[in-house]
Amino acid sequence: MHLFDLPTTVPWLSLTWLSTLVPCLIIAVLPSSQRNAIRWTGTAFSFLSLGFSLLLFFAYDHEQGGFQFAEFLPWIPQLNINYILGADGISLPMMVLNGFIISSGALISFNIENRAKEYWILLLLLTTGVYGVFVSLDLFLFFVFYELAVLPMYLLIGVFGSTRRTYGAMKLTLFLMAGSALAIVGMLAVYFGNGLQTFNMLELANHVLYSRPFQIAFFFPLFMGFAVLAGMFPFHTWSPTGHVAAPTAVSMLHAGVLMKLGAYGCLRAAMWIMPDGARWWLPIIAILTIMNVVYGATIAMAQKDFKFVIGYSSVSHMGLVVMALASANQIGLTGAVLQMFAHGIMTGLFFAVVGRMIYERTHTRQFPELGGLFKVLPFAAVMFILGGLSSMGMPGLAGFWAEFTIFIGVWQSYPLIAVIAAISIPITAAYILRAVIQVFFDEVKNPEFFKLPKMTWQEYTGATMLAAILILVGIYPAILTEMIDIGVAPVVQQLHGVTNIAGF
Amino acid sequence: MPVFFQISDVPRLLPELLLLVLALLVLGSDMFERWGEDEESRFERVRAAGSLTAIGLGLIFLITLLQSGYVYRLPADAPQNFFLTIVRNLQNGGPVGDPVVGSFATDHLTMIGRLVLIGAAFLVSLLTLDYRPANNPGEFYALILLSTMGMCLMAAATELITAYLSVELTSIPLYILAGYFQTNTRQSSEAGMKYFLFGALSSGLILYGMSLVFGFAVASIPGGAQANDMTQFLRIAQATATEGAAASKLLTLGMLFIIAGVGYKVAVIPFHSWSPDVYEGSLTPITAFLSTASKAAGFLLLYRILVTAFPNLTGTAEIVSGFGGWTSLLAVLAVATVVLGNLAALPQRNLKRLLAWSSIAHAGFVIMALMAWASPYASTRSMGTSALIYYLVVYTVTNIGAFGALAVASMTVGGDTMEHLRGLARRNLGLATLLAIFVLSLAGIPPMGGFLAKFYIFMAAWQSGAWWVVMTGVVTTMIGLYYYLLILKATFIEEPASTEPVPMPTWMNATLITSAVLVLLLGVFPNLVLTTIDQVKVVAGM
Repeated sequence: MHLFDLPTTVPWLSLTWLSTLVPCLIIAVLPSSQRNAIRWTGTAFSFLSLGFSLLLFFAYDHEQGGFQFAEFLPWIPQLNINYILGADGISLPMMVLNGFIISSGALISFNIENRAKEYWILLLLLTTGVYGVFVSLDLFLFFVFYELAVLPMYLLIGVFGSTRRTYGAMKLTLFLMAGSALAIVGMLAVYFGNGLQTFNMLELANHVLYSRPFQIAFFFPLFMGFAVLAGMFPFHTWSPTGHVAAPTAVSMLHAGVLMKLGAYGCLRAAMWIMPDGARWWLPIIAILTIMNVVYGATIAMAQKDFKFVIGYSSVSHMGLVVMALASANQIGLTGAVLQMFAHGIMTGLFFAVVGRMIYERTHTRQFPELGGLFKVLPFAAVMFILGGLSSMGMPGLAGFWAEFTIFIGVWQSYPLIAVIAAISIPITAAYILRAVIQVFFDEVKNPEFFKLPKMTWQEYTGATMLAAILILVGIYPAILTEMIDIGVAPVVQQLHGVTNIAGF
Repeated sequence: MPVFFQISDVPRLLPELLLLVLALLVLGSDMFERWGEDEESRFERVRAAGSLTAIGLGLIFLITLLQSGYVYRLPADAPQNFFLTIVRNLQNGGPVGDPVVGSFATDHLTMIGRLVLIGAAFLVSLLTLDYRPANNPGEFYALILLSTMGMCLMAAATELITAYLSVELTSIPLYILAGYFQTNTRQSSEAGMKYFLFGALSSGLILYGMSLVFGFAVASIPGGAQANDMTQFLRIAQATATEGAAASKLLTLGMLFIIAGVGYKVAVIPFHSWSPDVYEGSLTPITAFLSTASKAAGFLLLYRILVTAFPNLTGTAEIVSGFGGWTSLLAVLAVATVVLGNLAALPQRNLKRLLAWSSIAHAGFVIMALMAWASPYASTRSMGTSALIYYLVVYTVTNIGAFGALAVASMTVGGDTMEHLRGLARRNLGLATLLAIFVLSLAGIPPMGGFLAKFYIFMAAWQSGAWWVVMTGVVTTMIGLYYYLLILKATFIEEPASTEPVPMPTWMNATLITSAVLVLLLGVFPNLVLTTIDQVKVVAGM
């Protein structure tokens, strides 16, 4: 929807990522005893960043397409590294997603009392990194923001987390950094491989000068480096442990946005720049993602810890995203980006319910100890069921459109894989329904539950916001799909219409 | 043609002369203090000598900066008056002209080297201001200054004898400084002794290598006349430019000895074994000095000597197309150094030892920058040069900060093991944050300077075809990240033994904040220094 135009003289994209960096500096100078001031600063700026994202989302000109709101500043001219920003139909939905998740995450984080200052600084720093990745068009800049988004996780999980937090934090960080190491190799290859000596992704994608063997050799590190963050099998094991260990808002951001960063990197950096390599590797990757989708769902089925169920469900759903990327056609890629959005909102809702509304009241996440929570926390139950239905792909909710398009797309490329992956649909329904029954509709197993504290307004607002988006996109998916269509079209053309330019 | 020392060469040597004057001043002014046995008068003496050194070094740094013209260059049409004439004369001694008497270059490399080394000495002298009093502060600070002077000479030497003497002038004060720990005499004496023994051996190696190279060079000129300038690097390069020279075993052997000797000084594997013990035993600010300025000077010398004296023995860094020359040798050393350095750092619990191993690993990365000389293209070579110097700048600032933070910890918490640092963030969030910035920069995480430094080196090495070295570097960076994260884990995640707040001594605080700001600035706006560094380009032979 192109509602209005924005003045072009304002650096909107820089403002967006700065709007979460500035509060870090403000909070850094606030005394740590001023918790309320810290919270309100953080929340206000989170909503400001959401405002910027929405403004850009509705100001994107569909007719014109491509990258808009572009910014260019020389940064390190010696190495031909520049500060290039731009947003297209893929990055804008992701920015909006990030805005919603950080805003509701900020509301959910209102009850952090211990070391609140460090918490908010790190949380906002992470968000800054995420915004930065979605808007940068220079691979180097992209990578800098990427690392900025990954590293605060270590401290956020390690300091503020719960179950096995130091282990979870270390495992997550090492996995993701190993991914970055692979990505660095890919970046160097991209830079030197074609004689252009640039990190400018637009330029790289417009002149694909790499030979086919070169692309086949270096597509793998670049793609895999980012796919680790997308939780791709067999490098997914950090993700459930990390999700379980992380504090609520961090799980929301992590599963909701950060894993999308991985998929976004795969799409933007690897598939767009090295289409020949992509065509060679994508079938193999599609086969690997079957493991993600089916095996992740099956494992989720066997979990007793509520957060582990959601952690593995994320692995399964992100598997669908990568599978859709691997389908390499217009419908599949649209589905992938739509699923990134839908799953982000949905999983944010899940973690808000499980981590904040349930765990911080009952102090347990084990199914056998929970039960009958519908009678005590009806709001939490409604929210979880809503998210669960979306996760199962119930029509009328965002998840339906995403999964529907993904399966159509994958069917076009790999019918057999689509059929196998479809097994995950009943399994997903099974584990979601199992969780719903055991947690919300059983007998109230613990009479103490009747004394649980009431919901706060922050929880109501945060969760309602996400639920409303799920329903809105479910009813009117075109609000996203039109834009995503425009965004993925160049990548699809790249993947299909490539003529191999010889040389090098 | 014989070259004589001219009076106009004096301003070109100004920073070194000023360092010498300052050293004598510090040494002499100590006599005007009250020499009491009590703690208070000792502290007074330390303060007096220390502040004189710090102020002096700060001034010399500013004068050098003015002389270099990197920040401000006097316009040609500036009016003639007393002050501007001083500035004009100063800048005339800037980075221009042939080497003084053929043995002391005042080019951009020297200029940048001086700024880095004097700057490092300045920060170190600030760090020592709050430290426990030494018995003879005059000596202590004079030794630091003399060593700094030696380092500047190392960066500038273009001739074998000057190079050797400057290495000695740098090292001998450092041997004494390493043994200067007042409270931990046994360990510190061990450090001093060990450093001296290894250092003496390495000096011997350098000297032996130089004699072989000189012998080869003299033998190569017909008649053996005019041999007295054959110690100059450029003359050696000319003498070895023939077909047979590159294949000469004598010349290669001489070069190997020189590399091994300088390798000891900069602690690359397999010449590293002294460094963890010495770093652990020395006074922490001195460890900071050893691991940064001394290493940086060593690398500058190594760079200049290899690039200007042995350009004909460069070789290649690719395994496929044949091995040979010093780039191949350094490639092997670099791989061994980054792998073993990072692996050995993993089990360390004492942070000074841990950082010692980490700085060994970093030496491996610096060597990778020299790989660029395997490439025949000038652009790649100058990329390698820029990467090398940028890395040295960032690494110097970062490591002074890291060791400085440890110095604060050992002073206020009582030790520098992981156990001592536990829960530091709860006791002093500022100190923990500063330490985190330095540690992350060492780990190579953006937006800290350490990231671009590593990345730049990887780019240069990749460009020169040493992709296998780059791969090793990338993998070992990952290994390194683990122990750097352990430091963050100890300081931020683990619970403190006591919740008593940790005080932050004023001058150390100032030093750490300066270093942290520099680390961030260098990372976010690398252009501040890269434009200057790019002027170094390729020193000679091109």
